Parts: sequence; structure tokens; C-alpha cells
Amino acid sequence: MRKVTLLLLCIFITALNSFAGGYQVGLHSTRNIGMGLIGTSLSYDASALFYNPGGAPFIDSKFSISGGATFLMARATYQSQDQVYQEHMNHDMNYPFYFYFAYKPIKDLSIGLAVNTPYGLSMSWPDTWQGRYLIQSVKFSAVTIQPTVSYKFKDIVGIGAGFVISYGNVTLSKAVPISGSGNTDGQANIKGSTVKYGYNIGVMVHPIKKLSLGIDYRSRIDMAVKDAKAEFTVPVSVATKFPNMNVDVTLPLPANLDFGISYEIGEKWMIGLGLNYVFWNVYDSLAFDFKTPTPNTTSVASHQASAKLYTNRLITRLGAQYKINPMFTVRAGGYYDPTPIPSDRLDPMLPGSNEIGLTCGLSIYPTKGLSIDASFEYLMGSERSGISSPDENGSHNFAGTYSTVFYMPGIGLTYNF
Amino acid sequence: MKKIFLILLSLAFFTACERKIDTFTVSSGTANFKKYISIGNSLVAGYADGALYTTGQKYSTPNLIAGQLQLAGSGAFVQPMVKSEYGVDFPGSAYRLVLGPSTDCKGVTSLGPVPLIGAKDPLLPNVGYAVNNFGVPGAKSFHMLAPHYGDPALLALGKANPYFCRFAQTAASSVLQDAMAASATFFTMQLGDNDVLSYALSGGMDTITSPAFFGTVMGGVLQGLTSNHAQGVIANIPDVTSIPFFTTVPYNGLVLARQSLVDSVNYAMSVFHLPFTYHLGQNPFLIPDPTSVLPFKVRQMVAGELVLLTVPQDSMKCYGMGIVRAIPPQLPYPIPKQFILTLEDIAKLKTATAAYNEIIKGLAANFKLGLVDLNTRMNELQSGIVWDGIALNAQFVTGGAFSLDGIHLNPRGCALSANFFIDAINKQYGSTIPFVDITKYPGVIFP
Repeated sequence: MRKVTLLLLCIFITALNSFAGGYQVGLHSTRNIGMGLIGTSLSYDASALFYNPGGAPFIDSKFSISGGATFLMARATYQSQDQVYQEHMNHDMNYPFYFYFAYKPIKDLSIGLAVNTPYGLSMSWPDTWQGRYLIQSVKFSAVTIQPTVSYKFKDIVGIGAGFVISYGNVTLSKAVPISGSGNTDGQANIKGSTVKYGYNIGVMVHPIKKLSLGIDYRSRIDMAVKDAKAEFTVPVSVATKFPNMNVDVTLPLPANLDFGISYEIGEKWMIGLGLNYVFWNVYDSLAFDFKTPTPNTTSVASHQASAKLYTNRLITRLGAQYKINPMFTVRAGGYYDPTPIPSDRLDPMLPGSNEIGLTCGLSIYPTKGLSIDASFEYLMGSERSGISSPDENGSHNFAGTYSTVFYMPGIGLTYNF
Repeated sequence: MKKIFLILLSLAFFTACERKIDTFTVSSGTANFKKYISIGNSLVAGYADGALYTTGQKYSTPNLIAGQLQLAGSGAFVQPMVKSEYGVDFPGSAYRLVLGPSTDCKGVTSLGPVPLIGAKDPLLPNVGYAVNNFGVPGAKSFHMLAPHYGDPALLALGKANPYFCRFAQTAASSVLQDAMAASATFFTMQLGDNDVLSYALSGGMDTITSPAFFGTVMGGVLQGLTSNHAQGVIANIPDVTSIPFFTTVPYNGLVLARQSLVDSVNYAMSVFHLPFTYHLGQNPFLIPDPTSVLPFKVRQMVAGELVLLTVPQDSMKCYGMGIVRAIPPQLPYPIPKQFILTLEDIAKLKTATAAYNEIIKGLAANFKLGLVDLNTRMNELQSGIVWDGIALNAQFVTGGAFSLDGIHLNPRGCALSANFFIDAINKQYGSTIPFVDITKYPGVIFP
């Protein structure tokens, strides 16, 4: 009961601001989520394959399996800056998941496989809402598979590298401001998928047994979806001007440079700090290149083709873990994630603001080595005002205020044997 | 088990809540919107698609402004409603245009503006009620002061305006008298466009009101409207030559697709002793030039000159208008001047418009009224703007803002224009009147 109280307490103290930076999800291990999403210096289980391949050989068992999912619920409200208009985002649910398997054939060598969803974005607004010409719904997900090899030297330095295969999938729909009889709107739907490659390399150092340092670099992935299908529904008299066609969608996934340090205090406590530098500036644009463009399709795409001009950001994370007894371990943490999105590119497709996340977690060990993991992450959004594109030359593109919150309960299983 | 219930319960509690944001606060500032009227020309009346009809009036810029002012306590806004979707019936009146297929002289069917034939609303009797919208299609600045401007007895003489006949309070009324009788607390005015536009629409045949007279008249109208201390905003005059009515047909729209055609045209010109050379592709049209020393007193159009949207397309496509008459006598066939604006005409229009706008700016300051800089706004529309995700420009049909007559705005354009007025009102009076949601209003309707 006390743990539940702890859990609820950590939910309630979060009278803080904010919301998700970009479309990097960060929910890759229920245990680590509980500790403010740190992980670069940790090697308790197979999630190290993703957080820092250099840590995998330090896992204290021959086999480690970890899997789970998060129930990502977003609530957002939009208030127009200059109109009597307010709208709520649809209650979509997203399920970022992970599965890791690490195996040590010999003491210092680890091989493993990581499967997870490091990037994703899925949100929708009511089809007839005021921002429908900007976005009705967007769903973007990248599932990655990462075979990994790691080696450690003398229980002090571990190095590891993984080859990242990323399957990206994008669907997007928006209304087209072409009026048909009965004042109906046109409609544009874009859908496509692709497979791209990258890498993940890391080093972990234990200068003394209780202290762990980690550094990890995950490469950028140019998620270019060639030949996605674009379909337009417009009045029949202009259908030839909006032919269904192939479209190239470019959505670069940013590189990450992570640094982590953690220390075990006695047998029960562990505290850690993580720094996560995200190279957002690759997200110059979510570009749509129509293969057989007409002036009409170009104008439909012009909104997305405009530069997003994100800047690189540093996320700071803090987390702690406390072993109450062999059966229960509790965790708590938090982080600050400044938004990479400038206020004159604040778009209903991704209305981000600076984010403070508070997290907590619990593991129950029914038997040694096996844990049932639970976590809860709470990001409460401060209000952020902005406009979808700069007010230039008389344009006035969707100025408003967004307020967003995320609720992210997660569950998982970990088995070290 | 109890723990899990507690967790689920707390989750349900959180996820049920929507995020709260303060809603928009409407305020009047220093303005009194209690009784709002609008005064001016067709742009005020809700004229669109070449006619005044019910739906066009519902989407009139002042009616949309009124809807927003009502959120700040303004009263009902009454318009002299036309009871037809086809237009008002009087000699020479046109049917409303809609997009539809039509077949040209070459048998080619294409999508374009076509008249929507149906029962127009009879011009008379007068609507018989007091109105708030004093927009009179066709009215120039000085017409506001003209007595008997809505006198049906003078219609046949051309001394009265048919649209004002529909709602003039008495046969002897001037528009200004009726507007003043409304005792408004607030007004918007869009007047003076026709003082240049009618010259432009006639291909330079009509007269341009002299700026001096314009100033006197506009001053008089504003004196009358503000005599009871009414507040308001007035719009200046956009560059009329930038509207689709003048920018759609290119000066060099004569397309010669085959070399044999080019050769025969060049041969014909040599026969006519005209020093014009033609090439494959686009060539300038021929127009009359009374000052020319050349035979036939014609010349080729030059870049910057404009062809009116109403130029007879079939005459150009099949009968040689703009080059050589296709049927005997096969002589040079210039486009009649009434469909052309020459560089000289355009310069006159621009000079007058600039002078008018200086006057309007001065009057707005003198009468402490807000100024709606429609001239700048329409220039911005030329190069294209994005408003709440809708890309708009001043192109005919595809631009999304103008109606099918190429002169007046469509509902979406009217909503945009209403926002320009609201912006000026808020700036002048420190009010917070919300913008019109332009995404609620249709553009050109495609079949």
C-alpha cells in the first residue's frame, strides 16, 4: 500500500509545466522510464542494448530478456488567438513498445537484439475542426530492429555497436480548401512506408565498481519514404488537376548523443544523471515532393514543405532507484526537455513546448531474476502560444495557444537468468 | 488487487480531464457598436458573381463584420434582401455566374463561369423596411449625396440606381440621408472604388472622378455620418488593375501554334504595310491606336497593358479578333478599345487611386476614424497569403478569394476582408472583436 501511495504522490506533485519535444518518444524500458528515462550508464538488463550497447556485457546474467509497452495518452486543447474558438485533440492512444534479448556466450562478450519504437508521432483533431487545412491526422512511427555485439575489458570498459534497421510508416490526412457543391471540402491523404539503416555505438566505464559512466551515439536516419501514395478527393470538375500520385516524404530522424553517470549508494540506492543531446536541426522540413506536381498539389503541400527550423536541444535527466526488499524496488525521476520547435512554427501537427516530465516506477520480483515492471510518466503542458508560419506579407496562419498533457502508464517484464 | 484498482481509478481521473485554456474575451474598447451600419458600393452590398443574390448578401463583408460586433452587444443587422439566388430583375441585369461547362466556337468544352438561369427577384416594390447595409452596387462617391438616387421614376432616365430603388426610404432620399436617419453609433465605409473602377471596366471610356471633387464629396459623406458622433472605420481604394478581371487574359494571349500560321500572318502584315512580326507561340494582340500613323491605326499591345475578362472569347478564338479577321474582308481586326486598358489608362488609374488614398487617409485622421488599408492588403493578396491553412491569391478562380466576376470577392474573400476591417476597428478603438473564422466560408464552388 505504501508503494501505491508513493506512486500516487509522485503523480500529484507534478503541478509543473510542459510537453513533448519533437517526435522522439523515449519510452524504451519500463524500468528506466520510472527513473526519468535515464539509461546510458545502466546495465541492469537487456535494455542496455538500446541505451548503451557498451553496457550489455555488464549485465549480471547469461541471458536477459526485457519487454513491455507504454500506453501513451495525450490531451491537448487549442484556443485561437483571435477568434472565439477552442478545440480538443482527439483521444488517440499510442503504444510504444520494446523487446530486448541479450546473451553472453562467454563472460566478456554479449550479443543481442533490440526491437523498439524510438520515434513516433500520432495525433488527430476532429475532421471538421478549424485547423483541418493544416492537419486532420498524422501518424508516423519508426520501428527499429538492432542486432548488437558488445565486449568488455577487465570489468572496467565495455564497448558495443548495433546495426539499426528502421521501418518507418507515415500516414497523413488534411482537408483541401476546394469547395464542392454543398460547401464540402476536398481531402488529401498520404500514406507510405520505408526501411532505412543507422547505427548505435556506446562505451561504458566502471572506474570503480559502484560508479558507472556511459556515452552513446545513435546515428541520424534519413527517413525518406519514396513513392508514398497521395490520394485526393476533390470535386469531379477539378479531379484531373489533383491526380492521385506518388509522393516522396522526407522526415529525418535526429541523431542522439547521450551521456550518463550513476552511482550505487550501499545495497539499496542508485542515483543517476543523464544528458541527452538531440540533433534536431536535421528536421529542416517534413517535405512532400509530388512526383507529377500540379500547381494545385504544390499549394496543398506548401504548408509542410516550409522549413521547420528546429534547433539542437539538450535534455537533462535525473533518476533514482531504491530496493525496499528482495521483492520490491521503487523508482522516481524527472527530466527537462526544452522544445526544439520555434514559436513561429508552432503547428497543430506537433504543438510542442518546453517539457518537464516526472516519472515513477515499481518492480515486483516474484522470484529471483524475474520482475514485473510498472511505470508512470506524467508530462503536464504549460500553455504555449505561437503561429504555424511567420506573419509575413499579410499571412496569418493559425495563431493560437496550445495546452497539452501526457499520461503514460507502462508495463513490462524483465527476466535475467 | 486493491492497488491496481486505485491506480486505474487515478488514471481514469486524469485522462478524463481536458486541458483548460482561457477563452477569447470580447470587449468593445472605446467603441459603441450598439447600432452598426455599413455604407458604400457593391463591395458593401454583397454583390458577387456578377449579381446581387440572397447567398451573396448573407456573406457580405458588413454582414460578417456585424456577426462579430454582435458578440460585443451590437444589434440586429438588416440588409435589403434579394429574394432570389439568380439576381435582381431590371433591364440589362445579368444572371449570377456559377462554374460550369461551356462549349466554345471550336467545339471545346471547358469549365468556366456560366450564367445560372432562373427567376430573378423583381426590382420593385421597395423592400419596405429600414436597413443597416447601405451598400449600393455601381454607386460612385458623389452618388451618396444625390437626391432621388433611389427614385424608380428616374430609372429610365438613368438618374437613379436600381439597387437603391429597392430600399430607399423615400423617392427623394439620397443614400447619405437614409444612412444618417438610421442614427448609427458605428459605421464601416467602403466607397470610391467605382470612381476609378468604372473607368477601368469601360476600357477607359468612362470618366475618373477628379481627386478634388472626390475629396469634397467624401468629406461631406463623413461629415454627415459623424454628425451624431458615430464612430467607424473607412477603407481605402485597392489598385483596381490588380483584380482578376484585368489580369486573367494576357496581353500576348495570341498563340500561333504552327509555322505555316506564323508565315501567313507575317505575309498578311506585309500586305497591310504593318511593321509587326509574329513568332511561334505567344504574340501580342492588335488594338486600336487613334494616334498611329500606320495604316488601319492599329498597334500591338505591350507588356503591362491589360485585356478585360469580358473580351469576347469566341471572336478571338474563331474570328481573328486581336489579329486578322477570319472571314472577309480579311483585314486587321484589333480588339475593341472597350476591352483594353493601355499603359496610359493604367497610369491615370494609378495616379487617381494614389490621390484618393491620400485623401482618405487625411479624412480618417480628421474625423478620428480607423483606416482599413485594403490597398496594402490586396497587394499582399497579389503575391499570395496563407490564412489558417488556406493559401489565397488574386488569380481568377484558382486564387480562392475572388468570385466569378473577377471583381468582387467570394464568401471566403469576404471573410478575409471582414477580418481586415475588424483588425482596423480593434486598432483604432482598443476593442477585442474576434476575427471571422474564414474556414467556415466557401471559396468558388466547383461542380
